Amino acid sequence: MFPFLKKQIDVCAAVASVTFKEWGAYRSHSMVSIFVGPVFFIVQYFIWTAVFESGAMPGMELEEVIRYFAAVALIGYLVMDFADWNLSMLVRTGKFLTFALRPLNHSFFALSQKVGHRILGFLVEFVPCYFIFMFIFKIDMRPAFFGWVLISISLAFLMNFYVNYCIGLASFWVVQSQGIRSVYELLGGIFSGALIPLVFFPLPLQKLQFFLPFQYTSYVPAMVFLGKYSLGGVEISIPVIVGIQALAVAVVFMLCKILNEFAMKHSTAVGA
Amino acid sequence: MRTFFSVYKSCISAAFARASAYRLNFLLSLAITLGFNLLFPLVTILIYSAGSSFPGWGFFEVLLIQSVFTLSNGLAGMMFGGVLWATMQHVREGSFEIVLLKPTSPLFFLISTNFDEDSLGLLVGGGALFVTAFIFADVSVLALPAFAILFAAGFCVMAGMNMLMAATSFKWVGNSRIPEIFDSIMTFGKYPLTIFPNMIRGIATFAIPVGMIAFYPATALLGGYDLKIFLVAIPCVLFMFLGVWTYRYMVRAYEGVGG
Repeated sequence: MFPFLKKQIDVCAAVASVTFKEWGAYRSHSMVSIFVGPVFFIVQYFIWTAVFESGAMPGMELEEVIRYFAAVALIGYLVMDFADWNLSMLVRTGKFLTFALRPLNHSFFALSQKVGHRILGFLVEFVPCYFIFMFIFKIDMRPAFFGWVLISISLAFLMNFYVNYCIGLASFWVVQSQGIRSVYELLGGIFSGALIPLVFFPLPLQKLQFFLPFQYTSYVPAMVFLGKYSLGGVEISIPVIVGIQALAVAVVFMLCKILNEFAMKHSTAVGA
Repeated sequence: MRTFFSVYKSCISAAFARASAYRLNFLLSLAITLGFNLLFPLVTILIYSAGSSFPGWGFFEVLLIQSVFTLSNGLAGMMFGGVLWATMQHVREGSFEIVLLKPTSPLFFLISTNFDEDSLGLLVGGGALFVTAFIFADVSVLALPAFAILFAAGFCVMAGMNMLMAATSFKWVGNSRIPEIFDSIMTFGKYPLTIFPNMIRGIATFAIPVGMIAFYPATALLGGYDLKIFLVAIPCVLFMFLGVWTYRYMVRAYEGVGG
């Protein structure tokens, strides 16, 4: 068991390190976030300040909303993923064949790539923006429960990856999965909580979110950061919601494994 | 000038002919563009349905601003949206020489051959929102000419933005995140400018006139304008010329050895 784990960690570290160096050559692309993140935040700040001037919103105070949007922006840098696009491209161009021949599961390879990519994101996106929010905008960015936030963000990282990977797997059947990816992106934009806290949605839509993967990538870790979670008229303690998040990740992970099996059986390619 | 129109017309026909070859893909793209478009007023809908508001602004007044923004965005996206991606691809692959060899202005060639028919979804969605807001907001029909002038000025800002983005790709090679920078700046134009402090309002009116894309045209339609507002159209036109000038300047800075 332990030699297997050690080997997996070594493989992950090697792939992550190469990905880090590869993307590090284009670090200025990632550094766009240092401008874009704070600008979007400024807009959100003034929108919600104006809205709260005219009356309260149900479920959150102004200070919480502002901290929420700052947390969502920062969490986005840690969990960002495009495994769907990558896998879709590999399938469409036939390059996936080269991965099928390697003594390494592609989903694990892609996950390791994401680890390296997001370590770069942590250094050139998360850290500068964190300091901008904390020391220039004077937003209190200290999490309520550091340990739980760390676990919740790690789960959000996995959730985002496995959902995207499932969508990428659709390419084995439809080849050009751009449409499916766009639809997911659209739904994710609405229901992840990145656009607006889910607690501001109508009650039936809030309840629906417990059965969809979207909230677990953004809303849950942001609320864990704030130290209180409520949705659909239900208040849930932080350990319980993180547990629910872990369960959701496990379900998506299993779904991904099953889909992967079917995809491998369905896959045909020559040459590449 | 007639040649330019003739070339442009042929390119639009070719774009739609191309789209009609993959009709399902075209319709899906339109639907998805429309869906993304609906995300934008969603925040406004949720805010107003919760009983809050942007101070001094009714729901349909804000919707009017956002619909005008969507219309302008759709129109500019159709006409200029493809220029950035085409320029970026040519610069990255070192094939911009092909564009330079064409017997017409490189900018005009890229604008005409990259007509983006998918942005039609934005126009349709924006149009539907605009008609809804127009019916329910307290709009002055007499202000339509003023609206048209200010909308044209806002369109100049959009055109300038697209040219500047495309020009940036000559130096910042292959950076697909360039639009994010400009999108973040344009976000200020999607909401009533009155919610922002004076400094941001000043910048969004005179320096980078994103306020002219939707806020000022919608305000004119709501009857809240005086003649001084037309002076703000001047920086908008200048902004478009700045975009065109920058693009042409960057074309001269392009270096390549034939792809």
